[in-house]
Amino acid sequence: MQFNFCQYSFRPILIGLSTSLCLAGISLPVAANDDNLDRGKAVSEAKFLEAVKSSFLVNHPDEWKRFTDPTLKICNQTLDKPSIEQANAIRKLEKANITLPKDGQYMGDWQKGQMWVEGAHGGRIGFPGFVDADDPSKPNGANCYACHAVDPNFPQHGNMGPSLTNYGKLRGQSAAIQKYTYEYIFNAKAYNPCSLMPRFGSGEGHLLTAEQVADITAFLLDPKSPVNNPKVDGEVKKLSHP
Amino acid sequence: MKTRSKSASPSPKGLASTHRKAWLVFLCSTTVVTGFAQASDDAKFSAYRDALADGNPGEFWVDDGEDLFFKKAGPKNASLEKCDFGLGPGVLEGAYAQMPRYFSDTDRVESLEGRLMTCMKTLQGLDDKQIQEQYLNIHYLNAAEEDNRVSPLAQLATFVASKSSEMPFQIALDHPKEQHAYELGKKTFWHRMGAMDLSCAHCHAVPGRVLRGVELPVMTDPERAGKVMGAFPAYVNKDGNVRTQWWRNERCLLAMRLPWLKTGSEIDAALILYQVKKASESDEKIAVPGIKPRA
Repeated sequence: MQFNFCQYSFRPILIGLSTSLCLAGISLPVAANDDNLDRGKAVSEAKFLEAVKSSFLVNHPDEWKRFTDPTLKICNQTLDKPSIEQANAIRKLEKANITLPKDGQYMGDWQKGQMWVEGAHGGRIGFPGFVDADDPSKPNGANCYACHAVDPNFPQHGNMGPSLTNYGKLRGQSAAIQKYTYEYIFNAKAYNPCSLMPRFGSGEGHLLTAEQVADITAFLLDPKSPVNNPKVDGEVKKLSHP
Repeated sequence: MKTRSKSASPSPKGLASTHRKAWLVFLCSTTVVTGFAQASDDAKFSAYRDALADGNPGEFWVDDGEDLFFKKAGPKNASLEKCDFGLGPGVLEGAYAQMPRYFSDTDRVESLEGRLMTCMKTLQGLDDKQIQEQYLNIHYLNAAEEDNRVSPLAQLATFVASKSSEMPFQIALDHPKEQHAYELGKKTFWHRMGAMDLSCAHCHAVPGRVLRGVELPVMTDPERAGKVMGAFPAYVNKDGNVRTQWWRNERCLLAMRLPWLKTGSEIDAALILYQVKKASESDEKIAVPGIKPRA
């Protein structure tokens, strides 16, 4: 039984937004074997967590929460296909975590947003002295290009999420779109319960502040943003993230 | 360099070896890499691998690992040459092809690095603290993208693993604890966790996944798993260093924003076992040291 959460969650907002708004629709792959259905269920959650405790090093006890998130627990148990009741419970829980920037605006500074979209720094923890761990005193990026095409001038992108190029050009900048875009970046699981997309504003180890989420919202929606303008011929994109 | 005689090993020995490495790395980066700068997937990089087939800097890790393996050390002033990797004390040929595996003396499933540390305890008399200080600290910190730290544990692992080159992985899962470790590895692989809300499978069980311009291997596919797992320990050109299977998994866990995976831990062995079991279902052969543009 499958249920299209994307359509379900958008219908009340705006008809015609189309399912392409589903920033990260869930589609776990059909593997060539049954591992996709089995997923090591012979090992109980308790046994797994026991092995986790003996196998990983933490710098702070809160880091253990990265193994025990309640929303992911449901997604793991249901192979990313929660029941309607479970889906509603997740959406309610995750929606409650969304906060606004201090100025109360969904749209921030798109030029700053460009930096957060490109930046891959943030959230990596590790053995003390390991130089590839991220310095928590520096601002984090969201590494959007890992999964999405965004600015058409940026040389690399991934394909785990849909292209966001022309995001604002296609959708306009209405209040409803601003709110939806902001909230989806802040907490994708408030809309799509087992979305592939991380919850950038919520959860243990989350990467972005509310202000940064507003900056990224502006980067996607502002008509002046390169996201909503044609690719510039010959432009060599330099990384603007510090 | 393969003909380098052990008795001619200079002292201090690290220095000459560092010079050779620096020379080779310079050669690689100037003559070969430039020609393939745009190569981003496995197929495109096979030409690079072919070009370096006779001059893989990872061979230095094999040689240095051999020296270390037969060197007397520790409170018991013993070498590791009687270490039992599952086929009997001192039998190295083909041992790595059947690891991780169950060992009755420790009553657990151990990876190659885990087993080496067990033998450091039993044969050389090192304790956990000494292993941490003499081996693991540098093994962990060496995971940074820099070439000035060489992990002796990686050298040892590369030497032992090289004795299984040209052989396919043979993972039987005969012992119940091996079956449990396989299931634990599977659970870990498919479990969503970390601040990115991802499982290993989201990226590595789907054909065609690209992450920020980098094509990701499907590790549930036996052929691809065979190529990837059989290449480690591998010389990674970007790092100028040899990396092990543990290191490869830890890099992914780091990107998933999870805590640090301890080398030789239960989940370390389980994750490797899950993937080498897949590898063993193909005809791909171990080719250690492998060579990779980045890992």
